[in-house]
Amino acid sequence: MYTLPQLIEEDLHTLDGAMRELVQKSESTAALLIDKGGFLITQQGSTDSFDGTTVAALGAGSFCANKEIANLIGEEGFASVYQQGDKQSLLVVNVDEHCLLCVIFKSQTGVGAVKYYASDAVKEIAAQLKRAGERSPGAGFDLSVLNIADTDEIFRSKTA
Amino acid sequence: MAIINQATKELQVKIVFYGPAMCGKTTNLEHIHGNVQTLQEHKGKLVSLATSSDRTLFFDFLPIQAMAIKGFRTKFQLYTVPGQVIYNTTRQLVLRGVDGIVFVADSQYDKMQENVESFANLEENLRSLKQNLAEIPLVLQYNKRDLPSAAPLEYMEFLLNNRDVQVPSFPACANKGEGVFETLNMITRMLLHRFINETSRKAA
Repeated sequence: MYTLPQLIEEDLHTLDGAMRELVQKSESTAALLIDKGGFLITQQGSTDSFDGTTVAALGAGSFCANKEIANLIGEEGFASVYQQGDKQSLLVVNVDEHCLLCVIFKSQTGVGAVKYYASDAVKEIAAQLKRAGERSPGAGFDLSVLNIADTDEIFRSKTA
Repeated sequence: MAIINQATKELQVKIVFYGPAMCGKTTNLEHIHGNVQTLQEHKGKLVSLATSSDRTLFFDFLPIQAMAIKGFRTKFQLYTVPGQVIYNTTRQLVLRGVDGIVFVADSQYDKMQENVESFANLEENLRSLKQNLAEIPLVLQYNKRDLPSAAPLEYMEFLLNNRDVQVPSFPACANKGEGVFETLNMITRMLLHRFINETSRKAA
């Protein structure tokens, strides 16, 4: 089972920094770094008004579905999905083989500006994820904290 | 691909409920969502991307959090796939990054062929993603045991669990909640053991 990259403090610091800068410069509402499998890795900006976990799952699904459609019609260079809304719009940009950057921004903001600033963020994020992936997989992982003795009933039914 | 965030002490894993059309995958998630004993903030919304007739079109998605590993916040992301044969591309998309699979089989005699075909389709789709089912934690759930036309469990085991290494299987009536949490707890347990063994091996 492939479980990398393991992210450490240094990774999160760089990823969050790049996304914070993107949000500030592009005057976006929020930026989310998501895995193509649907996991939310980290987020920056005003994230209280929506459920980032669900946005990540749906954003990844939407991007991957659109990429498949693009392949079907013979389009090979597929890098982003733009959803234009009345109040908030959404741009999902490919970062690398495994990750996507999702930017939520006010609809009056031009998508061109968001794309421009996102391209810088994408480069920085991709470079940091590459460093994280190349790091020794077990590095800094303290197995003593792993205690799964009580996994028999992680989830219980209310009626049980 | 599970995500391990050392900085925030967070682990995220993806479990996919797979199986033929109308076998009860969505019903499993609905029961878990409605009955899991957890803090409200640890349970997300159940998102269903379904057709107007309530058939799954893309996937159902339910995020739940649990303290499964001491010191780590573990986020379980539960997905279903659309069971209908025509939606195979969608099933491949949902399988991306899967860490554990629950195969829900319909116990009715006349659904056996669909069960077997769906299982073969699962193996094929994993192969297309360069993954091997033998290396992924898998639990079988024989659903709809309450129906009069249900086949004997031994027969279902022969059809679906007839391999060198047998996987755990559970009889269930998902609409009544029977067998749902047993299945979920088994897949999470297998997944976490697997995850820890892998991590130990890599660290060694």
